[in-house]
Amino acid sequence: MANPILLSNTMEVMDIDAILLSLKLAAWTLVLIIPFGVWAAHKLIRLDKGKPWIEAALALPLVLPPTVLGYYLLIGLGGKSIFGVPLVFSFTGILIASLIVNLPFAIQPIQRAFESINPEIREAAQVSGLSHWQIFRLIELPLAWRGITSAAVLTFAHTLGEFGVILMVGGAIPSETKTVSIAIYDKVQSFDTSGAGALALLLLGISLVAIAVSYGVFGKSTYYRRAKTNA
Amino acid sequence: MLKLHISQTLPNPLQMNLECEAGQLHALVGPSGSGKTSTLRTIAGLSQAKTGKIQCNDEIWFEADEVSGIKINLPPASRSCGFLFQQYALFPHLSAIENVLIPLQNSLLEKEERISIAHEWLVRMGIQDLAKRMPHQLSGGQQQRVALARALARQPKILLLDEPFSAIDAPTRQSLYKTLADLRRDLHIPILLVTHDLREADLLADRITVIDQGISLQTAAPQVLFQKPRNARVAELVGINNMFEGVFDSGKLHWDNSDQLFHVLDKGKIPPNTPVAWVIPADGLSLHEQPSDTSVIAKVMQISTLGQVAVIQMQLNNGEHTIVWEASAAEVRRLSLKVDSAAYIEIDSSKIHIMPLRSINDPRRFTN
Repeated sequence: MANPILLSNTMEVMDIDAILLSLKLAAWTLVLIIPFGVWAAHKLIRLDKGKPWIEAALALPLVLPPTVLGYYLLIGLGGKSIFGVPLVFSFTGILIASLIVNLPFAIQPIQRAFESINPEIREAAQVSGLSHWQIFRLIELPLAWRGITSAAVLTFAHTLGEFGVILMVGGAIPSETKTVSIAIYDKVQSFDTSGAGALALLLLGISLVAIAVSYGVFGKSTYYRRAKTNA
Repeated sequence: MLKLHISQTLPNPLQMNLECEAGQLHALVGPSGSGKTSTLRTIAGLSQAKTGKIQCNDEIWFEADEVSGIKINLPPASRSCGFLFQQYALFPHLSAIENVLIPLQNSLLEKEERISIAHEWLVRMGIQDLAKRMPHQLSGGQQQRVALARALARQPKILLLDEPFSAIDAPTRQSLYKTLADLRRDLHIPILLVTHDLREADLLADRITVIDQGISLQTAAPQVLFQKPRNARVAELVGINNMFEGVFDSGKLHWDNSDQLFHVLDKGKIPPNTPVAWVIPADGLSLHEQPSDTSVIAKVMQISTLGQVAVIQMQLNNGEHTIVWEASAAEVRRLSLKVDSAAYIEIDSSKIHIMPLRSINDPRRFTN
């Protein structure tokens, strides 16, 4: 039987609320951004005019300092609300921030996956009588699933580890905006190194597993690559 | 029946006229980049010409002119074309039978019936045992058969084959020739075959269209094409070795740089003293041991023996002209032909075919 005092201590050290909040944020981000990522990536591969600018805008979160992005979000969303829910210093606020920050992680792997489909495959589907929707559903989506998985894994891991933007937009409200990475920062600030260490180890483990899964999925010789060499 | 008339100058020049009857195999032959594949893609709706008309049976698939632009342009999915891609383009995530089931996706048939049709096609292609294999688990020839089954599963109104024999080995090619001959007999739809291999076109096609730089130069039955190419470029493209230049004047052909004169019949269309190109087919040439009044003296330059066939290269008129003659190795022995020995060539002037010196599409063709 578990010792209630030990369990309570562990929960306190680990800041279980922060862990649950991070998982909730990562889950919501995934649910919302992956369908958008698939749609946007599919649109992008057909785009000619203005493509470099749109791609650059979508990749900005990769290179911008999180504080810059956080500043603009704070200015842009400050004082605004949706259905009475304020957009800064709230879970909704950090979710919006998380969605924006994760755009390149969600779109780029899916876009690369769509781009790697041989154009003749699409043409073969067209002359086989499939509609655009059928081509997307039956041919492109299954062929791009590795890219979609990779996007999901990267987004999940990145959301768990996001710090700067979340802090700027959400502050550190327990159970509302205080995610694991912010909890680590808080614990270090208050000299709780063992608590910070436990959470840091957790994040390290999750990130390692996520990246390994992503590499594992892509590391395998794909049927597509092999099919191309056969031809 | 497929009727095609397309024309454009940009981005690539394309001027194509052809008709292909149901049950006929029509080959498009030409060098790389001549527009053969572009023609097939235009028929399938994968690319558009600027102007022209594509009609299959009574249905117009494409119609456009300079004034109104595109009037009709059915999407590829509505054109009912079976298209065999050069690299097969099988769906790599689907098994052989699932690939064949894709064109039946929108059919009103029950799923079991669709599976049965796909299976029948695999049986017909002789690959029913490979139904569950993924494309990467199949050889090139097997992939091609799956691709052919997929192209035909929807019962298309025409079949378009883009260089189907280019990526497969010789034995597989032989068996595919037979499959194609069977399909032509059984399907009774127009079949268009793109190839750069003339022997293949000669072997399989009822009619051949020679294409160069996007322009259809001549459409004819293989025999006619090899014996009576329309112009020098066609002769060159169909690999006629013995092509020369001369001047034609009222039934007399003066061979350039020689005293040789041939009496050739024409339809009276050629103006006097017209520079022409002329060809002599293999059966218009014969070699003799002894000279005659009409024979031409040649010097044997090279004898290449390939199995039972020998190719003899000879020079005439002090090296001005080269004639190539194919004969059996036995014939070479009978004539005691050796390099540097003399040979006496008889040219049957009734087999000579004269043509405009330049392509009919060349605006300079009436000038020197």
